[in-house]
Amino acid sequence: MILAFFHRISQMFFVLLGVSVLVFAIFFATPGADPTARIAGRNAAPQTLEKIRKEYGFDRPLPVQYVIMMKKLFITQDLTSYADRGERVVPEIFRAAPITFSLVGGAALIWTVTSIAMGLIAAIFKDTWIDKTLMSLGLVGISIPVFWLGEVVNLITQNRYHDTWLFSWVPALGYIPLSENPIGWFKALVFPWCVLAVLFIGIYSRILRADLVAIAQEDFMRTARAKGLSSLRILLWHGLRMAMITFISLFGLDFAQLVGGGALLTEVVFGLPGVGRLTYQALSSMDLPLIMATVMYSAVFVVVSGAIVDLLYLFLDPRIRESHKKL
Amino acid sequence: MPRFFLFRFSLPIIFILFGEGLPFPRLIYAQTFHSTAKKTLPNSHFGGTLKVVIGSSTGTLDPQIAYTALIKTIETPVYDTLLTYPKLSGPNAHPVIADLAEAVPVPEDHGLTYRLTLRKNIRFSNGQPVTVADVAASFRRIFMVGSPTAGPYYSHIRGAQACLKDPAHCTLDKGIETNPVTRQITFHLTSPDPEFPDRLAWRHAAILPQNTPTHDMGNTPIPGTGPYLITDYNPTTHMRLERNPYFHEWSRNAQPAAYPDHVFITFGLDKEDEVSAVENGQADWMYDNVPLDRLGEVGSRYTKQVHIYRLLMYSYAMLNVHEPPFNNLAVRQALNYAVNRHAMVIYSGGAAIATPQCQLLPEGIPGYEPFCDYTLGASPEHPARTWQAPDMKRARELVRASGTEGEKVTIVAPAEGRTSNTAEEIRDTLEALGYKASVHNISPAIQFTFVQNTNNHVQISLGGWTADYPSASTFLMTLFSCESFRPHSDNSPNMSGFCSPTIDRMMNNALSQTLNNRAESNRLWAKVDRALMQQAPAVPLVQTRNVILLSKRVHNVIITLNDELLFSQLQIQ
Repeated sequence: MILAFFHRISQMFFVLLGVSVLVFAIFFATPGADPTARIAGRNAAPQTLEKIRKEYGFDRPLPVQYVIMMKKLFITQDLTSYADRGERVVPEIFRAAPITFSLVGGAALIWTVTSIAMGLIAAIFKDTWIDKTLMSLGLVGISIPVFWLGEVVNLITQNRYHDTWLFSWVPALGYIPLSENPIGWFKALVFPWCVLAVLFIGIYSRILRADLVAIAQEDFMRTARAKGLSSLRILLWHGLRMAMITFISLFGLDFAQLVGGGALLTEVVFGLPGVGRLTYQALSSMDLPLIMATVMYSAVFVVVSGAIVDLLYLFLDPRIRESHKKL
Repeated sequence: MPRFFLFRFSLPIIFILFGEGLPFPRLIYAQTFHSTAKKTLPNSHFGGTLKVVIGSSTGTLDPQIAYTALIKTIETPVYDTLLTYPKLSGPNAHPVIADLAEAVPVPEDHGLTYRLTLRKNIRFSNGQPVTVADVAASFRRIFMVGSPTAGPYYSHIRGAQACLKDPAHCTLDKGIETNPVTRQITFHLTSPDPEFPDRLAWRHAAILPQNTPTHDMGNTPIPGTGPYLITDYNPTTHMRLERNPYFHEWSRNAQPAAYPDHVFITFGLDKEDEVSAVENGQADWMYDNVPLDRLGEVGSRYTKQVHIYRLLMYSYAMLNVHEPPFNNLAVRQALNYAVNRHAMVIYSGGAAIATPQCQLLPEGIPGYEPFCDYTLGASPEHPARTWQAPDMKRARELVRASGTEGEKVTIVAPAEGRTSNTAEEIRDTLEALGYKASVHNISPAIQFTFVQNTNNHVQISLGGWTADYPSASTFLMTLFSCESFRPHSDNSPNMSGFCSPTIDRMMNNALSQTLNNRAESNRLWAKVDRALMQQAPAVPLVQTRNVILLSKRVHNVIITLNDELLFSQLQIQ
């Protein structure tokens, strides 16, 4: 167990090192990306440029600049933005993270419940019109780009029908903190939740249905049926439990990448100042410290969630537990 | 010097094709003239919270460093300078008037000395009184914090060169004399700077408390003297402004008292959502320009809430005179003849929002005299008054004479809607002239610095330029003087690399006349404009207007020549 833990930690370290070196190198290899002139301002005197170059350490060799940036990001945590001068990027990420959590958490709840329900119903009514309808709906959900759906929802709720009783309750785009106004928080997020969940409902329901159908032919399912258990109990207790292994593997990765900034499009479309929009903003303004911070944040999440998913496997699949015991 | 204008539009093709046919432009054009006449409602309404929506905020709040149009607009009612441009609507908001100073100084010693007297009983928003020591410290701080305009605008002050070299030990003790008893401030210059009063009105000369740290304050607001103070700011989410408890109105034209009690700014919506928020009454003012695909909608359904005003700005294609084929005058002239400015107007939103631009000074700038050298039926020797149509025949003749047909040309443009369309149009024009043309779109965040650096060998680049203050020099000298061409630097605003000692002398002559004979100075600037266009270092494209949308409950719109919309004057009813 301790070995596995150290294995994970070293894996995370190498992932972060690789990603950060890559981001840093690409930034400085981009022609015109030197931030000195942008920080100094238009038509600044050459002396002013020199002052900025020294102040920000751009006159030092690139490896030294890289080490200083990593120190400021991870140790002293006082790395400041080049675009929003003086703005510390680490607190910025911590301020944005709860907003992303609110968005992704709500959407995850919706897509988990809905896709399990859809997958189960489709598996129970396999090859009937119900199964085909549900799976077609899932395919439609997968096919709709999230930014397009978000814009259409905004067009309906904020523009064309905002004055009607149906959508007059929808607040202005943006985020309302849960601690300030729980009802406002819910109202502001309900559409972003649904929009973000649509794609995942499609994917997860189709995967779950396929797994349930495949598992139905397994020996342990036949045994359960031979024991005289009810079909529903077999499906829910034995089938669903095993089918959830794939579901959870995917869920862990998807959830992590969304929390790490993957909900960028939804956040931008709905004006939610989460980590995704921060990433978008950093890329738009070519702000290396913010790009670095958001990328590192995302990488940490993906690696950590991978570890959590591995732990969940142990809980769900007795065969994996057994294999670990043997080790 | 002028700010580089980054286009804020995205342009759906449908609008490009049919935009000009919409009834909208005429409607809002009529609205403009109602809105820009200064008037105070009989039942002036103080109080309320003005809700503003803005796409994004970048840069620093430090008024001596900030260079974005957004921060300038926000900080106009937060900070003051010794002099300022009048806060009046229309073209009369020029030249400078006294703000924190009692009067506009008369230049002495042939323009080497300026004496001003500081007004009495003015306090910063932290309660500290404004003293002459604060004034001197503020000017020292310009150099100590590395203000972008420290060199270009304030290097004439005696001791400024030493401050540029060693900012940490800047004293300006020979450049600025102060007398706390008489409240007199005397500036001594090393050489006459005819635009020195304009420099004193420029935002980077904001007067701050003398104990303000001498480094970029970033997002920490510094106390100011205006009617508002910034109480809360997060560049990704919001900003809050509240009344400065120590403010009293000392000059209505210089710094009028504000109407709304609070201003709350939300950052992060895209322009489409900003329009919806104002239409729904969720916000009172969208700072950003109304996107082109929503112009028809707001023009027809929200006509009374739309305001349009001319910007001291135009877009251009800059031609690098050191790179083939534009190192050949005939080719530069040929492209000027060939570009279809009518198409450019359509790309910019139609005739109510953009006008064809033929010269290097935009309408509204002192010295502007309309002429068009490169249009059908005209020439530099016999210019027309306005642009008529492209002259492809003449353009092809010039290209043939240059012997450059078939050469490769790459247009470097910022990767965003409207400019990309403009770039494609110019590419087609170059192809029609016989060149192998292509477009290289790069991130708007770095395009401006990229095209300035001669190491990148940019042949032709697209961009726009807007004035820091209404002056011909902020266009002509900054963009085309020998001094502003700095090879191998990311900071060389003379992007064409054009340098003519003769025209430089003409510019200096025009500038020197500003002190004594403004009319003569304007006449000379018009001559410089013509002389430059004969050399065609750029292809001026269009001068644009700004379209803003306000909520129904907002009144008393004042749009000035220099400061654009004064949001402190909006009344909420």
